[in-house]
Amino acid sequence: MSAQALLEVHDLGKRFASRAGRDSSLWVIRDLSFSVADGEFLTIVGPSGSGKTTLLNMIAQIDVASGGEVRFQSEVAPINDPKSLNPGLSCRIGYVTQEDNLLPWRTMLQNVLFPLVVQGRLNDETRARAEMLIRTVGLAGFENHYPHELSGGMRKRASLIRTLVYDPPVILMDEPFGALDAQTRTVLQEDLLRLWNLGRKTIIFVTHDITEAIALGDRTLVLTRAPARVAGEHKIDLPRPRDIRGILTDPKFIEIYQRIREQVQ
Amino acid sequence: MPGCAGTETPTGEKMATQSEFSAPPGENSSRVGTLIRSRGDQLLVLIALFAIWQACSLWLGTYWVGSPWGTVVRLTTGVLGGELLSHASFTLAEAVIGFLLGGIPAVILPFLLRRLPIVTAILDPFMVGGYGAPKLALAPLFILWFGIGIESKIALVAITVFFIVYFSTLSGIRALDTKLVQMAQIVGADEKDVARHIVFPGAVPYIFTGFRIAMPYAIGGAVVAELISANRGLGYLIQLGAMNFDTTGVFVALLATGIIVFIGNTAVNVFERRLLRWRPPSDAKNQSGT
Repeated sequence: MSAQALLEVHDLGKRFASRAGRDSSLWVIRDLSFSVADGEFLTIVGPSGSGKTTLLNMIAQIDVASGGEVRFQSEVAPINDPKSLNPGLSCRIGYVTQEDNLLPWRTMLQNVLFPLVVQGRLNDETRARAEMLIRTVGLAGFENHYPHELSGGMRKRASLIRTLVYDPPVILMDEPFGALDAQTRTVLQEDLLRLWNLGRKTIIFVTHDITEAIALGDRTLVLTRAPARVAGEHKIDLPRPRDIRGILTDPKFIEIYQRIREQVQ
Repeated sequence: MPGCAGTETPTGEKMATQSEFSAPPGENSSRVGTLIRSRGDQLLVLIALFAIWQACSLWLGTYWVGSPWGTVVRLTTGVLGGELLSHASFTLAEAVIGFLLGGIPAVILPFLLRRLPIVTAILDPFMVGGYGAPKLALAPLFILWFGIGIESKIALVAITVFFIVYFSTLSGIRALDTKLVQMAQIVGADEKDVARHIVFPGAVPYIFTGFRIAMPYAIGGAVVAELISANRGLGYLIQLGAMNFDTTGVFVALLATGIIVFIGNTAVNVFERRLLRWRPPSDAKNQSGT
């Protein structure tokens, strides 16, 4: 697996300086290692407060690590020095955050095209791709709406395809569907799987929802409470394409669910 | 309350269906309704003010309080004769030129200082001092320096506008959402893209708040500077009226000043609404309601 790993995390650690008067500082993540293969859909589950967002921030190069390293295609990312951080590692790591972070002064279409504009890659071909993605997630007809005129689910879809539109080799997702109601969430999970089937991107998807982790992933990592380490690794050998609604009653799903449940504290 | 039934839909239901977009038209028609109603209320207040004014003038005599009718007649003949218009346009020119000379650097400077927090911190006490200093006290000084012509009035307006717009622009830049900046950097935005696509559009509402507050001060500043020394402008008319015990003349100039402020405010509103179409209506209302 590690021979063809696209992204590797080695002994990664994050410590937050403690308040004055205390010597011991708080490690949120310590000695965390895993790797992701090209085209793999990796899901990570862990209890809340286990540093999942911090982990993705470090991989996305918007937060410094206190130790360890992140390698992308065997190239070491400059992650230990705040000055040399390279957010998104030159557009090779996409990041769908918990909040949609759409620009309120841009319409939905302008938001989706934003990465192409700043990368200087806006042309007929990429524009057609954006339009295709907008249709695929059912946002056609809302191109000229501003974010405040869209529902939470629609904003989430827009932020998702804003990352897909420039086609980064790795996409990080931080509980992207956490704030949505169950119904919308299921629809979006189906959308995500359909989009993933189109391009088979490498995805690292963080969630606290075990069901979601199993339903979406090829492999699931379980994190411990802080300081976070890998508590277990589970191969999800459920056939694809998967039926998100029907999968819940699959005996294999139930068996994996129970295995993971025991590890998540 | 017509149209309110429609506005319930988007918050009550999060499902991404077409139905939730039945809301905006209903919202619009109810907004037009409240607009008409508030215009009607404003007209009532205007009539009440004129009634009080008329009562005062009847009670105290037109020698002390010019009658509304006489003021309106003098205003109309002054406008039609062109004399009042020329004084008013002189004042307006001072206000507009001063507004631009003070306002444009006040918008640009905080953007230049954005990457230099130390310089901003060093400048801060001086800026606060300049903001707090009574501008009226500067008028005699400016007349001494720039003469009794248009230059001294422009200088006073510019300095008044500058500090107001500077601080509101600065707070707009400070209110920057770092998550949006991180998002932009991850998708490949460089420093220039961040300034152009994130920092500036985010600061625009704050800049407009500054413009809105500064606008009456610009016209007031021009009038005050004219009061002290001038041979043209609405301030000069006020001074002239007072010296000749022509209270109606003073009222005419005051009314004209009020009308100019009203027009200026409307212009800022129209411009703002065009530029800030992206904002949720409730936000925009809170801003323009001040």
